[in-house]
Amino acid sequence: MNRIERSVLSNGLRLAVVPIADLRSTSVLLAVEAGQWFEPAGRPGIARLMSQAMLRGSKSRDAEAWATAIDALGAVARLDVGQHAAVFSAQCLGSDLRELLGLIAEAIRTPALAETEIEFVRAQTLAQLEKEERDTRAVSDRVWRQLVYPEGHPFRVPPIGDSVVVRTASADEVRAHHRAAIAPDGAVLVVAGGTTARDAAQAAERALGTWAKRAEPRETRHPLATLSTTKHRVELVPDKTQSDVIIGWPGLARTDPRFTAARVTNMVYAADTFASRAGNVIRDQLGLAYYVFSGMGSSRGQSPWIVRMGVNPQNVKRAIEVALDELRKVTLGQIADDDLALAKDKLVGELDVALESPAGVAAMVLEAELFDLGEDHFERYPRELRAVTKDQVVETARVFLPPERYALAVAGPPLPDVLI
Amino acid sequence: MLYALEARHAPVVSLWVWYHVGGRNEVPGTTGMSHFLEHMLFKGTPKHPKGDLDRLLARYGAQWNAFTSEDVTCYFETVPKAHYRTALELESDRMRNALISLEETEAERTVIVSEREGYENDPSFLLGEELQAVAFSRHTYGQGVIGSKDEIKLMTRDGLYAHYRRFYAPNNAYVVVTGDDDPERLLEDAASAFGPLEPSRDLGEPPKAPEPEQHGERRIVVHRAGGTLPIVMVAFRAPRATDPRAAALSALAVTLAGTSGGSDGASGRSSRLHRALVETGLAADVDASFQLMKDPYLFWADATLRPGIRHADVERVLLVELAKVASDLVDEEEFERVRRQLLAATAFNTDTITWRAFRCGQLLSTGAANSIGEWYEKLAAVTREQIRDAARDVLTERARNVGWFVPENAA
Repeated sequence: MNRIERSVLSNGLRLAVVPIADLRSTSVLLAVEAGQWFEPAGRPGIARLMSQAMLRGSKSRDAEAWATAIDALGAVARLDVGQHAAVFSAQCLGSDLRELLGLIAEAIRTPALAETEIEFVRAQTLAQLEKEERDTRAVSDRVWRQLVYPEGHPFRVPPIGDSVVVRTASADEVRAHHRAAIAPDGAVLVVAGGTTARDAAQAAERALGTWAKRAEPRETRHPLATLSTTKHRVELVPDKTQSDVIIGWPGLARTDPRFTAARVTNMVYAADTFASRAGNVIRDQLGLAYYVFSGMGSSRGQSPWIVRMGVNPQNVKRAIEVALDELRKVTLGQIADDDLALAKDKLVGELDVALESPAGVAAMVLEAELFDLGEDHFERYPRELRAVTKDQVVETARVFLPPERYALAVAGPPLPDVLI
Repeated sequence: MLYALEARHAPVVSLWVWYHVGGRNEVPGTTGMSHFLEHMLFKGTPKHPKGDLDRLLARYGAQWNAFTSEDVTCYFETVPKAHYRTALELESDRMRNALISLEETEAERTVIVSEREGYENDPSFLLGEELQAVAFSRHTYGQGVIGSKDEIKLMTRDGLYAHYRRFYAPNNAYVVVTGDDDPERLLEDAASAFGPLEPSRDLGEPPKAPEPEQHGERRIVVHRAGGTLPIVMVAFRAPRATDPRAAALSALAVTLAGTSGGSDGASGRSSRLHRALVETGLAADVDASFQLMKDPYLFWADATLRPGIRHADVERVLLVELAKVASDLVDEEEFERVRRQLLAATAFNTDTITWRAFRCGQLLSTGAANSIGEWYEKLAAVTREQIRDAARDVLTERARNVGWFVPENAA
C-alpha cells in the first residue's frame, strides 16, 4: 500500500489520500453516515429516495445542468445507500479532481430536492421495485431479511425500501432526512490515484471545508436480531427456471474484535465458489449449482451474513443439506489445516492484488477509516489474519453460524420437495 | 503471439491467454461447446489434478477467471508478481494437457445447465438471445455463446476433447501480460512457458459463413411471465472491429447512452436516449452498445419501460433519436462531452492492471488496433461528421431487428 496521507478538515471531515504515480485517473469515495443504520425507524427507503434526489440538481444548477457538468468531465459517479453509509463513488481524470469534488459537494450540501425531482425519483424507484417482484435474487433477499430482522430494524428491508414508504414519502420528509443525516460528522473522503496529497487536500477543503457540522449528536438504537429457531420461506416466482437460495444469520459489527476471525471463518466455509468448502463440494464435486458464495456486510450493526446459491429446483433440497453439512463440519472443528492456511493465504494475498486499481485501494482505505480500524491497520491486518486459529474459527462459526438455527429463503419455480 | 505491457503502480502481474475459438466456431447440434470446454479447463491436467489450480491460485490471493464470447475464449490470472511464473506454468500446462474426463464432463454438465438457467431468469437475456438469432440467418453469431439447454445435455466428452485439441494451441492463441516488471522479461518468461508447446495441425480455416445483406426490418415479440417491465430492444447489423468506422460507432454508442449503464448512476444522463426516454418518464433505463468483433455483428440499443408505458411509444421515440443522430451533426459542446467521456473511460479501464491487459487482448484479437495507444488515437481522432455518417450507414430500417418483451400475468 502506498503511503496514506491523512488529515481532518475543520468541520471534522476526515480525508485520506493515496497518491499513485503513473495513473491518469483518480477514484473518489465520500462516505456519509446516512445509510440504512441511520434511517428513521419504520421508514425504509427514505435514505435511498433522498440520495437519488440529491443527484437531481442543486441550489445553483438544475438536474440537467448538473448531469451535463458531470458528463463534461467524463466522470463516472453514483451515490449508493449501504448498511452503514451513503457512499458517493466516482472516478475522474486526476486533473479534474477539483471540479468533480465541487459537483459532489453541491449534491451533498445544497441539493435542490425539488418536488418534481422527488416525484421523478419516486416513479423510477417504484418501477425498480416492480421489476424486482419477479427477480428471484431480489425476492429471496427481501424474504430472508423479513425472516431475520424484527419490525423496525434498519436491515429488515433492502436499501431500495418498502413500496408503501416510497409511495407515501413526502418531499418535506425527504428534505428533513437530508437535514438530519447529511453532515460531515463521521464522514470520510478517500481519494486514490493520479493526484497529489496537496492537490487533493486543497480540492477537499475548497469543496467541503465549510460544510457545517451537525448541531446536536444523533442517537441510534435498534432492536436486536436473534434467531431462536430455524425459519424458512419459499416464494414462488412464475416463469423461472432457477431458484435463488439464501441461508443466513445476523452477523457481527465491523468494529467487533472478532471480525477478523469471522472473515477467515467465512473464507473457510463459503466465501469463494472455488476455494471454500461449500463451493468446492456443491459446485465442483456434485455439480449442483453454478455459483455458491457467502458474504458478510460491514456496518456497526448485525449485517447479513449469508450464503447464496443459484440452483435448479430439483437440486435445492440437496444443495441446502450439503451447505449445512459443510457448516456442521466447521463447527465440529473438522477443518483440515491446509483449508485454514488456504483461507488465510487468500485473504492476505487479496490485499496485494487489490492494489492494482485505484478503486480497490480506495475501498480498502475507506473501510479502515470509516470503522476507525487504526492508522496502522494495513500493517497489522495481514498479521492478524495469519494469527487466527482453528479454535477461533470453530468458535466464530458456533456463535454466529449455528447450523441448527438459520433463516432460509428460496425464490423461484415450484419445488418438488418439502425443504425442512 | 506474445504481448507485454509495463504497469508499475502495484506489485502484480496480469496474464491473459486468448484463444481464437468461441460461439462462431460451432455448428448446430454443438452450440455451447466452446463455453462447455472453458469449464473443463478447470478440471485438471495430469500434472495439476482437479482442485490443484484452484487452491494454488487462491493461496496467492489471485483474481482469476475465464469467459467465452462469440469470437474467443479467454483465461486470466492476476497474481502478486512473485507468482507470475506459476501462472504461466498453469496456463501453458492446460493449453495442451487438460484431462477432460468423462466423469468430470458429466459433473460439469449440470453446472453449465445451472448457469444457463440463471440467465434464463433474466428477461433481457431471453429477449436478447431471441433477437440475436433473428438478426443472423447464416452467420454463427446467431447461435450466441452458451448454447441451447438440449445441446448442452447432448455434448459428448469426445466432442469436447476434439474441440480442445484442435483449438487450444500456441498457434491459435494470444498471450497478453501486463504488470510490474520489464516487458522484455515478462515476454521472455512467457516465451519459455509457451514456446515449447506443440502447435495444432488441425486448425483449418477460420469459419466462413458470410451473413447476407439484410433487406428489411425483422421483428419478434417474446411473451413471458418472468418479468414485470416491458422491454424494447433494437439491433442493427454493424461492421466488424477492423472497419474504419469502428471508433466512430463506439463514439455513437456514448452519444446515445453515455459510458456507464444504469439509470441510478449520475453519469450518462446528458446522453440522447436518457434525455428522450428516461427524463420524459417513458423508460426506467436505457443502453446502447457497439462491440468490437471479428465479423460484422450488431449495434444494440434498448430501453426498459416504465410500468404502463406502451412499447410502440418508446420504440417511436427511440427511432426518432436514432434518425436525428444519423441526419444532423452533434453540436460542438455535445461532441466535446462525448469525446471526453470516451477518452476518460479509456483511462479508467486501463488504470487497472487486469483491465489494461484485457483491453489490449481485445484490440489485438479482433484486429481493432495494434495497441491501446493506437486505439486511443483512433477514438481521439473521431469527428462529428464521422459519428453522423456511421449512424447513417448503420442505423437503417433495412438492417434493423426489433424485439419486444411483453410481460404476461402469471397463471
